[in-house]
Amino acid sequence: MRFVYAFFIKTYLTVMKMKNWPPTALLGLILLITIVLITAIGPLLIPNDPYMANMAERLSSPSLTYPFGTDHMGRCIFSRIVIGSQATLGITVLVITTVILIGIPIGLVSGYIGGRVDSIVMRLADGLIALPEFILAIAIAGFLGPSLTNLMISVVLVKWISYTRVVRGIVLSEREKEYVLAARVGGCTTWRIITRHLLPQIISPVLVLATLDVGKIILIISSLSYLGLGAQPPAPEWGAMLSDGRPYFQTFPELMIYPGMAIFIVVLSCNLIGEGLRDKLGEKSI
Amino acid sequence: MTISVDFTQPLTNDYVKEETFFQSLPLLEIKNLSISSLGENKKEDIKLVKNINFTIKSGEMLGIVGESGSGKSLTACALVGLLPKSLKVTEGQIKLHGRELLNLSEKEMRRLRGNEIAYIFQNYQGSFTPFIKIGNQLIEALRSHRKISKLDAKKKVLIWLERVKLPANQVFTSYPYQLSGGQLQRAALAAALMFQPFLIVADEPTTALDVLTSENILDLLVELQKEYNCAVLLISHNLNHVLKRTDSIAVMYGGQIVERGLTNEIRKNPIHPYTKLLLQARPVLSRVVPEKLVVIPGEPGLVAEQGCAFALRCPKSFKKCSILPKMQSVGDSQWVACHAADLEADYTNASS
Repeated sequence: MRFVYAFFIKTYLTVMKMKNWPPTALLGLILLITIVLITAIGPLLIPNDPYMANMAERLSSPSLTYPFGTDHMGRCIFSRIVIGSQATLGITVLVITTVILIGIPIGLVSGYIGGRVDSIVMRLADGLIALPEFILAIAIAGFLGPSLTNLMISVVLVKWISYTRVVRGIVLSEREKEYVLAARVGGCTTWRIITRHLLPQIISPVLVLATLDVGKIILIISSLSYLGLGAQPPAPEWGAMLSDGRPYFQTFPELMIYPGMAIFIVVLSCNLIGEGLRDKLGEKSI
Repeated sequence: MTISVDFTQPLTNDYVKEETFFQSLPLLEIKNLSISSLGENKKEDIKLVKNINFTIKSGEMLGIVGESGSGKSLTACALVGLLPKSLKVTEGQIKLHGRELLNLSEKEMRRLRGNEIAYIFQNYQGSFTPFIKIGNQLIEALRSHRKISKLDAKKKVLIWLERVKLPANQVFTSYPYQLSGGQLQRAALAAALMFQPFLIVADEPTTALDVLTSENILDLLVELQKEYNCAVLLISHNLNHVLKRTDSIAVMYGGQIVERGLTNEIRKNPIHPYTKLLLQARPVLSRVVPEKLVVIPGEPGLVAEQGCAFALRCPKSFKKCSILPKMQSVGDSQWVACHAADLEADYTNASS
């Protein structure tokens, strides 16, 4: 467990040591922190119960009671967006963590040990990369059946491969360096070389890849929910809310604009941070 | 954070090595060792090191010289079991204290590396992982072989850094990039000697350093070697270093040892034409420098497929050279693989 702990400490230090953040990345960071705060204290902020339908007030314009107005069932859009962020962001964090925890070890082992393990993993990777990841995610989610868990599984299955490839590439170039040989000559075990001498090298590229991926993953999750493969009604989720608002698009575009804006802002802030990190950490290849 | 180190205490080995029992045997015995590259279908392709033999005794320093590609480093790699996957030891034995190293499992081999056989690299930047402090790396290495507490390990590391004439406390907390090349190579020396190994393989340890620093480091190596009575296998391109410091020499050409013996004998009386040319091609300050140093004819790496590897470049080659010459003893402690050796020996005897 010690190296997992060290990994997070190192990640934290890598971010904190960065001075002179580019203003765009700073903007992204502020936006994201605000959104995460709102998500965390969401239940205290909302004026109404996000599940409570009030048919008498359906499709009403913004007012003091309903800051963003109500949807076709008379539910408060603002409350639903705030609570919905928990689902969207929570799933994203869960997915990205799982993807990293799966992708990094496989990449390390495949790159360092090589041989048959490496060929099998890489042929699998080639196969997965040949298909567009979005279509593959739809196919897997559709095959498993519509639910949030299956949605997460499908995104993880599609996404781990890019981490494995990045990690493997770095390990391939690092393992030939003399310090790895020196560690072996000194009597290090394979496990120790991988965790102590190779793992720290991959932190910054994986960090950049992960922040840039957060935006993509939110989009995939929302899209799958929009298609009805993710969150099931009446659960509030941004993609599902977009889907719900579709029939009223011409008369009441607010039903789609608010959740759409929420997705847009989160994806934008993640991409701004990711690009700032990429430039700062010098990971031009990603 | 400093730890006071008691330098008055003698450095004692913390585990007993069964040296007395083995004293009669040579420390390292390499018999008939061949290394080949594996082509397709894992079949033997090209023989890179051909049937070499040598032994090292405890406290002895053996120098291996020869041009690039003559198989020096491959032999060293085979010793510690770190040949690249595409290469394989096809025949022969490597015995350390009578124990066959080629049959050891990866786990046993790992215990042996660092602990009983230490390795010093040519590229001093490569000896340490760039993002871990020197002190921590040394402690880790120590703790991976010995069961000692962190504090004891730190004390021992500091003592050893002091032994190799480094500012111990400062180096302990430095990252590798903060040290100069000479300092790093000294630290690498400390890392190698810390375990008090039986054998140190120094693969061109000073090639990347300047002349004075390399003198200092080799002197230090010799000094510590004498003190701890370990054997050293010194691989070098620098004939002067090798002639000055080693007890015996093996000259390699094209994957074969063409001549080996005591350093003094080889210096005075080289027999193989290649050794002769090598020695003559070396500028010596005390001698009147001739206008032109001797040049070994032909391209480096021109190795005859059959017979004597040096035949194509040898100024004295004759018909018989297409047959592989056997290693034959000349004098008390000198062996040479050359058909012309008999004639040569007679000649030198007559002239002296």
